[in-house]
Amino acid sequence: MIVEAIRIDHQACWGCKTCEVACKQENRAADGVKLIAVQEEGPEIIDGKLNFVFHVNLCRHCDEPPCVDACPDAAIRKRSDRIVVMDSEMCTGCQACIEACPYDAIDFDPDKSIAQKCNLCHHRIENRLIPACADNICPAHCIHFLCYDSAPS
Amino acid sequence: MTDFKYSNVEKEMATYGFDRVVKSHCRMCHGGCGVLVYMRNGKIAKIAGDPDCPINHGTLCSKGLASTQLVYHPDRLTHPVRSVGSRGNGQWEQISWDEALDCIAERILAYKADFGAESIVMGYGTGRENEGVIYRFANLLGSPNVLTAGHFCYGPRIATSIITCGTNPIVDYENHPQCIMVWGNNLVISNPDCYKAEPFSVSLAKGAKLIAVDPRLTRIAARADVWLQPRPGTDAALALGMLNVIVNEELYDKQFVKDHVHGWEPFVQRVNEYPLKKVEKITWVAREKIREAARLFATTKPAAVQWGVAIEQQINCADNDRLLMALMGLTGNIDVPGGQVLFSTPKIRNVGYFCAHRMLPDVQREKRLGGDRFRLAGNFAIINPKCVWDAILEEKPYAVKMLFFISSNPLVTRANAKEVYRALEKVDFIAVSDFFMTPTAELADIVLPAASWLEMDYIADYWKRHGYIFPRRKVVQVGKCRSDHEMLNDLAHRVGQGDHWWDNFEQALDWILEPMGITWQDFKQMDYLRGEVINQKYKFKGFSTPSRKFELYASLLEQWGYDPLPQYREPPESPYSTPERFKNYPYILITGRRSPGFFHTENRQIPWLRELHRDPIVEIHPRTAKKENITEGDWVVIESVRGKVRQRAKLFEGMDPRVVSAEHAWWFPEKKGPAHGWDESNINILTDNAYETCDPAMGATSVRTLLCRICPEPEGGGS
Repeated sequence: MIVEAIRIDHQACWGCKTCEVACKQENRAADGVKLIAVQEEGPEIIDGKLNFVFHVNLCRHCDEPPCVDACPDAAIRKRSDRIVVMDSEMCTGCQACIEACPYDAIDFDPDKSIAQKCNLCHHRIENRLIPACADNICPAHCIHFLCYDSAPS
Repeated sequence: MTDFKYSNVEKEMATYGFDRVVKSHCRMCHGGCGVLVYMRNGKIAKIAGDPDCPINHGTLCSKGLASTQLVYHPDRLTHPVRSVGSRGNGQWEQISWDEALDCIAERILAYKADFGAESIVMGYGTGRENEGVIYRFANLLGSPNVLTAGHFCYGPRIATSIITCGTNPIVDYENHPQCIMVWGNNLVISNPDCYKAEPFSVSLAKGAKLIAVDPRLTRIAARADVWLQPRPGTDAALALGMLNVIVNEELYDKQFVKDHVHGWEPFVQRVNEYPLKKVEKITWVAREKIREAARLFATTKPAAVQWGVAIEQQINCADNDRLLMALMGLTGNIDVPGGQVLFSTPKIRNVGYFCAHRMLPDVQREKRLGGDRFRLAGNFAIINPKCVWDAILEEKPYAVKMLFFISSNPLVTRANAKEVYRALEKVDFIAVSDFFMTPTAELADIVLPAASWLEMDYIADYWKRHGYIFPRRKVVQVGKCRSDHEMLNDLAHRVGQGDHWWDNFEQALDWILEPMGITWQDFKQMDYLRGEVINQKYKFKGFSTPSRKFELYASLLEQWGYDPLPQYREPPESPYSTPERFKNYPYILITGRRSPGFFHTENRQIPWLRELHRDPIVEIHPRTAKKENITEGDWVVIESVRGKVRQRAKLFEGMDPRVVSAEHAWWFPEKKGPAHGWDESNINILTDNAYETCDPAMGATSVRTLLCRICPEPEGGGS
């Protein structure tokens, strides 16, 4: 089975938010709605040293996604290629998925009253293009698209 | 970089139905990056990085990606306008280009006849690669007065490097430094010249040691092997302390010093005036840390100093730059691969020549505002802004009658904003060329609609020092917008400079490229050109300085009446220089912390960028916030002796509790009406521009370090 995922090297992230805008350019989420979000964590003392990191947050495309079970409208499904896709057309805005997501990775568009999340640019993947945030846009090279065959060799 | 060469152009085109893709070169900041502009039905549909560009290798930043929203912004000025009624009342009428340029030309000729060409001040901000045409126009007009950010941004690096080693030493990321000392710079999110975040990141990934010098815990500081956290404004003392270690522990390159350094003995005497005990007291940095950083930097080869603007916006501007160059030079890292290289541009007519400085008559050059006071600046055609405001308000040493600001918003970006406002209000005539009606443009008589980088042909990075030039290719026309280059080429003909300009600006590009034996049309077919890279050129031709050596002891500064050796001066406003004031203004305020998406006053109306950062943010240490009764997200009043503004509190532990960090360049395009909230959060309401607080040689205003007090904004205090 072909498995697709985003791997992020948080230690390398500078917090420049280029990925957020690359996502906007591709997916045109409404103002204030983020499918990918760069968050600051810290500062805190780690090993006797003041430290902080940036954390790039987006849908993890979980193996057993709680949002799929939570959605009463079956607007979210786990595909065979493991991408968790939300169909905004089917969303009624109940926000159960937002409650269910353990990663705070689903946002809400109050104007359209729909939930929004990263669909791993599946429209790009299906055309053999890399998701917008991972298509060598990040100046830190910290966002990578992994596409590999999970079958034992 | 083959690992990262994604972006499948053919599949992008097929998948999205783009009809063409154009390679060009971004100019959303002070540097440039290679881009691919995808077009559909004649409009820009998508912007991506160019994987083949040696500067960014396919990556980009938020600003570059959002350029489409700049080009097609509904508030974009798309035709010339003239103020109706009293200036600054927000009433405008649309006029033709001919009317606009004839009116400006008529004013220029009249002021020149009545008050001399020096009464006309041209200006740009950080420049949209229009620097060459603006200087050319002013010089040919006979005005020695071009008001730029050059007194405290990049200009000092150019001026001090020319007098020290001939040209600006650039970190050679392509050959991967083994140690990078990032000094007061956050290049990964800011707007650096030449190389940017990508090659820096790659050098770190390849294992370069990292030293960070910053009063704030940036992510670079957090990742650093050594983080030095100095008291703001004490960089010169810190550098002298590091040099003291390097000299006294004999960690310097002895052969380089013996053969290529001018002024070694007096320089050693000077650094010996800064023992670590004294430096620790001045800088608040523990002496062990200073020693550790100095040793790491001096013993790792090759090493480089990534420098930037922060150290230039201080009273020690020129000496800060010179001391960092001393660190580069003494450690043998000048002009070596992976160190700091003195790159050559291709064999074209260079930007200095294009500027036509030699066409300015001596008698006019002598009238340069502040030229006798700030002699380093004056010798590099740079002026201090207060000299212009004084010439308007007090008509000393003569009256300035006209301001022509091209991509500049001085009401928000220059120190002592209230004085700037009074000057703009009083001056006879103001013309502005810009993308939007900025607070400065709102005070003008005529505003011209400027073209963005996507709407012009130009030789990108013409003024950069990495040795590359790239074709910037026009992809769209928006309204009646014109590039500043075409506009000034046209205006030049209307004021009698036609002999020195061209029928159209493409001919100017041909003229620049002519020594290479190519035309603009030829260059447009290329990806880039680079000057030949030759290292350690000083070994056979010396440095391009009066002594032909690396001048630690600056003979030109001595000739101009300054201390030829770098020294530390206490910031003009500090706990030690103004202890009485410190009792009432008990925090050190640092300003100008960068945030992704903005380039000084630009981009606050661009949705994808404003979304990254909605409000002006003041960072306050949690302990300080508690003491001042401030909580996260509160609007806070920040006040200096000169005025007060409001920004929103963010509690941040990554600073000394005695330091408060405010943002600069805020105005609010969403607030309609001519003011656009220019004085609400603009930190330059608080900054000082008195001559004695400026760098004595460069005229840099000391906007980065001052004293303030803070309190929560009272109920109903905002707008």
